[in-house]
Amino acid sequence: MASWLDYTINGLIVGNVYALVAVGLALIFGVSRLINFAQGSIYLVGAYIGWVAVVQLHTPLPLTIVVVAVAAALVGLIIERLGLRPLQNSARIAPLLATIGISFVLDQLVMLTFSPNPRALPSQLPDVRFQVGNGTIGLLDLLIAGVGLTSALLLFVFLRYSKLGWAVRATAQDRDAAMQMGVDVNRVNQAVFGIAAALGGVSGMLVGMYYNQIDTAMSLQATLKGVVAEVVGGAGNVPGAVVGSLLLGLVESYGVAVFGTSYRNLFAFLLLVLVLVLRPNGLFASARQAPPEPLTGTFIAPSRPLRIPRWALAVAVGGFAILPLFPVSFYVLQTLINAWLLGMLALSLTLVAGTIGQVSLGHAALLAIGAYTSALLSLSLSVPVGLAVIAGGLMSAALGTTLISPSFRLRGHYVSIATLAIGEIVSLVILNWESVTRGPIGISGIPPLSLFGYDLISASSVYWFSFAVMVVLALLQGRLLTSHLGRSFRAIRDDDIAARAYGLSLNRYKSLAFIFGGFAAGVSGAIAAHLYSYINHETFNTQQSILALTVVILGGLGNVVGAILGSVALVGLPEVFRIAAEYRILIYGIVLLLLVRFRPQGLLGTI
Amino acid sequence: MSNMDRRTLVRGSLAAMMAGAAFSRAAFAQSSEPILLGVSGPLTGPNAQYGTQWKQGFDLALDEIQAAGGINGRKLAYSFEDSQSDPRQSVAIAQKFVSDSRIVMELGDFSSPASMAASPIYQRGGLVQFGFTNSHPDFTKGGDFMWSTSVSQADEQPLLAQYAVKRLGLKKLAVLHLNTDWGRTSRDYFVKAAKEYGADVAITEGYIAEERDFRSTLVRVRDANPDGLILISYYSDGALIARQARQVGLKQTICAASSVYSPKFLELGGEAVEDVHLGTRYFPEDPRPEVQKFIAGFKKKYNGQEPDAFNAYAYDAMNMAAAVVKIGGTDRRAIRDAFPKVKDVSSVIFGTATFDVETRRVKGAMNAELVVRKGQFALWDGKPT
Repeated sequence: MASWLDYTINGLIVGNVYALVAVGLALIFGVSRLINFAQGSIYLVGAYIGWVAVVQLHTPLPLTIVVVAVAAALVGLIIERLGLRPLQNSARIAPLLATIGISFVLDQLVMLTFSPNPRALPSQLPDVRFQVGNGTIGLLDLLIAGVGLTSALLLFVFLRYSKLGWAVRATAQDRDAAMQMGVDVNRVNQAVFGIAAALGGVSGMLVGMYYNQIDTAMSLQATLKGVVAEVVGGAGNVPGAVVGSLLLGLVESYGVAVFGTSYRNLFAFLLLVLVLVLRPNGLFASARQAPPEPLTGTFIAPSRPLRIPRWALAVAVGGFAILPLFPVSFYVLQTLINAWLLGMLALSLTLVAGTIGQVSLGHAALLAIGAYTSALLSLSLSVPVGLAVIAGGLMSAALGTTLISPSFRLRGHYVSIATLAIGEIVSLVILNWESVTRGPIGISGIPPLSLFGYDLISASSVYWFSFAVMVVLALLQGRLLTSHLGRSFRAIRDDDIAARAYGLSLNRYKSLAFIFGGFAAGVSGAIAAHLYSYINHETFNTQQSILALTVVILGGLGNVVGAILGSVALVGLPEVFRIAAEYRILIYGIVLLLLVRFRPQGLLGTI
Repeated sequence: MSNMDRRTLVRGSLAAMMAGAAFSRAAFAQSSEPILLGVSGPLTGPNAQYGTQWKQGFDLALDEIQAAGGINGRKLAYSFEDSQSDPRQSVAIAQKFVSDSRIVMELGDFSSPASMAASPIYQRGGLVQFGFTNSHPDFTKGGDFMWSTSVSQADEQPLLAQYAVKRLGLKKLAVLHLNTDWGRTSRDYFVKAAKEYGADVAITEGYIAEERDFRSTLVRVRDANPDGLILISYYSDGALIARQARQVGLKQTICAASSVYSPKFLELGGEAVEDVHLGTRYFPEDPRPEVQKFIAGFKKKYNGQEPDAFNAYAYDAMNMAAAVVKIGGTDRRAIRDAFPKVKDVSSVIFGTATFDVETRRVKGAMNAELVVRKGQFALWDGKPT
């Protein structure tokens, strides 16, 4: 029984750590309706500024906190001014992509400045520990709790009772109305970003001290857990974010207690899905409160798509089809094979995210389902590879749609967060379901692609195969978009209430979109599995989901040609920048930001 | 204007790709040119730290090789391509290396998904893939062009089990391991060996690489009531676990796998890693000349920094590559055929390394039993902690 006390205390301690990030995210979401994917990067920057202050300048703790807060706030202000303000009149999806680009750039800058080696960040507090239960807690635990709770309380008071706070809330409720009432919306945004960044920076430093360890990989994890905690508490609700974080910590701790360590994150993400499905406004919103997302689909702004003449497309397809006949290196072919595989995934995502408006952040799960199905069928049951690939697609369509179906009732950002969670759950199930997936050991010796008994081994034959599959899928999808079904999809995206009034069954159409999209993604994953010959739970990770979304937004939501163009660009650019070695991801991030800045509706525009 | 931007961008990138391809075709090896090895590994992304450690080890080895006259008068050099340990990028790099006639063999990649996804391309392209951190038991089964000097966990883990059970006298163990292919394979070998030596494994817990918080895991460990903790970890997570173990009040002996052997382990762990036992392949006071040369050279080149396990793997790998190229020349197939011919290459990890032709791996890693005393790694003196 004593152990339960320990589990509870441990859950609260780690929940404390999550709360620091979640509060910053909640504040920004509350005002700009934006999930700030750069929050984890500010947290990282704060940790390293703290390291410089403590280890190089030997500042005392209060001064360290002030230095970090000011420096991080400056970073936040720069992000707001240069990265986000220029995008405020474009589609709401553009700032989301911009924060992803900013986080690439910040993470890389830190890595280049400080090297990727982890560093020790010694705590400046005396090492006094109190016995609680059978374990101990230290002064730093109390300080972290203090910072989390105080900042949440201060923010709550600020938002409720100060004039700027009213302006913040007014802006959150209705930006245009606030502007008409004379609120300086930009100043409000600035204030919010500054506060959130200062908080993010200080939390990065404190957490670094807590673990006596900082490294450049801490940013994405912090964002992920922060987002989960924030949504559990109710997006945009600052005190809710604290409670959500503590709850998340407790659920993880009890999950470890009952089932073991490797199930830990599984419970975090199951909690998230459960909360989203049962109480989509978060645990602390009243049931009758209007959802924070707009009622109509302004999430994806309409734009005039760039029409590419048919002959140009035909020439492009023909050109790429005969490319292997020319003396191009296998490296170029392999890069394009990667682009075609990503293209299939992007086709899938552009359909569900662009055409029907369900922005998925867990699309890599569909790849994984397809890959594992095809690999296991061909290895264990000796199914011919061609059939196994198709089975992979079908399994991905069926299983993927079933898993995602609980999130059909959600809108806007909530769909993204739910799919993110589902993606993580799939990956963790693959890791833990060892009797089928062989767990972390992975599946090796997957046979190469083959068609009608002929192995496709050479780069050219794999190229042609993947290119042909992608073109067929693209043609089918193009046909789908111009059909009655495609129009219904877009109607649901643009205004789901109006669509329902016209008698469209939302769930049925969303399922249809995911079935088609799941098939394309599953086939892509299956081909990749046979190409790689080895896969494990890390092969298809969150970064792939984020990459796919980047491709889709870059190409233009719902735009079939755009998805393929985006894939070629985002597979090609990092390869082109190879010459820049360590700097290439930095350059890639900057190019991405510039593209979002000057073409927020995507290269070819939303269809 | 944006229209224009895009066109120039696409055209520019295509031109750059074509130019890159043309360049690699045009460049033929000349005798004044260095002999080029390809390295595929992480320089950015979550595993970037290991790529930088590789570079340090490679560069030191190359300095020594060059000073000794290079390879039959020619210099040895490497071309490091960043894969982020991502299989999509490692397969592209594999094609790049295979179609670049200057590359005579390849080293890496770091993680199993990235390395083993590229293996079919190296195998079919006839270029040796020399994976020196690839402990996955299936890595060298990818084909006869796959060779590895990674210490087989079938060798290493029984040594650790012997240290923990026979020497330290631990009878009831809790095993915490990274839940990756490496950690999982290691755990299985360790548990098997520990049981053979007569110890009882009370609990095993696998954790994912991004995990930072182990307090609840450690409560589970405490409730299993072990008399020793075994860490199958890298140095950063190993240090975290040791710190938190002391915080939740676990005072048992901690015994860790050799992958924690790094000055960073001491820096990150602080007082909490005091008295942690670990088996390693080499240690600073090791009298072996190759170890003394490695450590002295490393400290001189990198401002007094102590080398760690990954530095040593990379250093050894580059020396092994030089030895192989010396015999095999610059022909890719001849290089593959040279691997079984190299005998007793001086090695920090193995003492002397000779490949087993059956498994294409090296057996018989050195073993030293260390303990952390006063914030330093020291040879264990047999005294209980």
